[in-house]
Amino acid sequence: MSVSPSLATKIGGLELPYPTLMGSGCYGTGEEFAPFADLSKIGAIVLKSVTRLPRLGNPTPRIVHTPAGMLNAIGLQNPGLDWYLEHELHKYAKRPCKLVGSVAAFSVEDYAYVCERLAARPEIAAVELNVSCPNVASEGETFGCYPDLTAAVVRAARATTGKTLIVKLSPNVTDIATIAREAEAAGADALAVINTVRGMAIDVETWRPRLGNVTGGLSGAAIRPIAVLAVYEVAQAVKIPIVGQGGIENVTDALEFFLAGASAISIGTANFTDPRIPERIADELQAYLARRNLAGIDAIVGKANHGFATPHQYEGDEG
Amino acid sequence: MPTLDLHAGVHETTVLQRRVLAPGVVLLSLDAPQLAAATQPGQYVMAIPPSGETAATALAVYEAEGKLASLLFFVTGRRTHELAELRDGDRLDVVGPLGNGFDCSGGERDVAIVAGGVGIASVLLCAQRLVRAGARVRLFYGARTAELLVDAQRFADAGCELIVTTDDGTRGESGFITDALARAQKPHIIYACGPSPMLRGVARIAMELGVRAQLSLEETFGCGVGGCWGCVVPLAGTSAQAPGFPPATLGGSDVVYARVCKEGPVFWADELRW
Repeated sequence: MSVSPSLATKIGGLELPYPTLMGSGCYGTGEEFAPFADLSKIGAIVLKSVTRLPRLGNPTPRIVHTPAGMLNAIGLQNPGLDWYLEHELHKYAKRPCKLVGSVAAFSVEDYAYVCERLAARPEIAAVELNVSCPNVASEGETFGCYPDLTAAVVRAARATTGKTLIVKLSPNVTDIATIAREAEAAGADALAVINTVRGMAIDVETWRPRLGNVTGGLSGAAIRPIAVLAVYEVAQAVKIPIVGQGGIENVTDALEFFLAGASAISIGTANFTDPRIPERIADELQAYLARRNLAGIDAIVGKANHGFATPHQYEGDEG
Repeated sequence: MPTLDLHAGVHETTVLQRRVLAPGVVLLSLDAPQLAAATQPGQYVMAIPPSGETAATALAVYEAEGKLASLLFFVTGRRTHELAELRDGDRLDVVGPLGNGFDCSGGERDVAIVAGGVGIASVLLCAQRLVRAGARVRLFYGARTAELLVDAQRFADAGCELIVTTDDGTRGESGFITDALARAQKPHIIYACGPSPMLRGVARIAMELGVRAQLSLEETFGCGVGGCWGCVVPLAGTSAQAPGFPPATLGGSDVVYARVCKEGPVFWADELRW
């Protein structure tokens, strides 16, 4: 095959030239990484979650490094929707990649309110509903931990916009597939799987929790197998596309998520290790597809769900 | 602080020399001409772990001259241990220079630089620049013990007057370096980098003396480039504002959180909420 394989993918109505999203809260507004990464070589930036009212966020320390990962407890620090829409969002308009807005809230009404106003903006190509932040005292994650509350949030948000709606699911649940089905039935266009895994670290000298918020969300390679399984299970439960995420650091990790059923991947903590990782993954994905004579990413999505086929059996899929 | 990091990038460097200055204290000299040219006093880099292990490490740029930029650090954990294992000729990629460092442009003629422990790594470029500008520069340098007063002679050679203390009295006076600062003749300005308790002490002394102080803060970083808001510090006052946020008063709070990695790491002591 002489034509290079396509990395284009589609998440609901969101068409992306690259299947790489930058995880919410990990990539700022994009501007912070622009000196170190070519933003035209990534699919989209999921912006940091915004809430109806400003939030100061959690006390420090907000970050603790742990084996093969890190704990964070930022606490949804954001300027609030009014300031964000009036003073900030227009500055992001010139990014050479798509922008996905992220909504966090503490009531069904506020999810719908923030979603409606955010989605109405031309800078925003799609909206992610963050129903799974583990770092806001007892409230935020509640929605994503219950099928009925998740459904209520998605239904309310769905009614406000025709733009692509991605629902970010929590791994901190008994059965993620049930919640995925509810989100799909309530009108979600796609699912982001997974948010961080709850965790904690303690300073044995001071006998104090090491995070200001006491608990935090674990990310990085440490959670990758948890995330791969979640994507695998959700992929079998729903028909809508999945944005796979959780500890992706290289092309092999990315391939695991595609094979488990993700149509795109999101890179978060790995940007803290090396900002060149997203572009490197895209390049190496393309080389992988080319080596196997595959026309595009579609050819590998969910293939690990098809029994125990070996890779060479699919080499001819694209003719 | 004014924005200085105009030439930040990813630099593929080679280790020219690795020296162990004291047990657990390593100086990595890098072949990094662009980094050296772009670095301002008090700036830092994120060192990309050769193993790919999660998260780069924030390290102050110690020296920057010609093609050489160096990183001076204490081995405190897994990630610094890996960097300490690098050998001459190894490759090390770094992101930087980052952050807003020391503003050395005030023209003060009598300067005190206060460094505690590994904080010494952030102040050499500052000291060199101020000496070149003709200022009298006194370095107040404290460490736990004599052998951890690394590279002190370097500052003397650069033209600084040295005042040292050690916790155990093995060199200089026994006690905290802030006590030595409090006893000393009043400087026109103070620059400081070290552990938080030392910086608080410096801020208090500066207030009592009625001089301004620039403090280089340490906080655990996530991304190190301003993207994650993991390394914040509260700024005080109704006029305090962080990029992307309303002023404190509009936000319904009397503080705002600014990023140590982006708005800092150097802040004026009187900007901070202690």
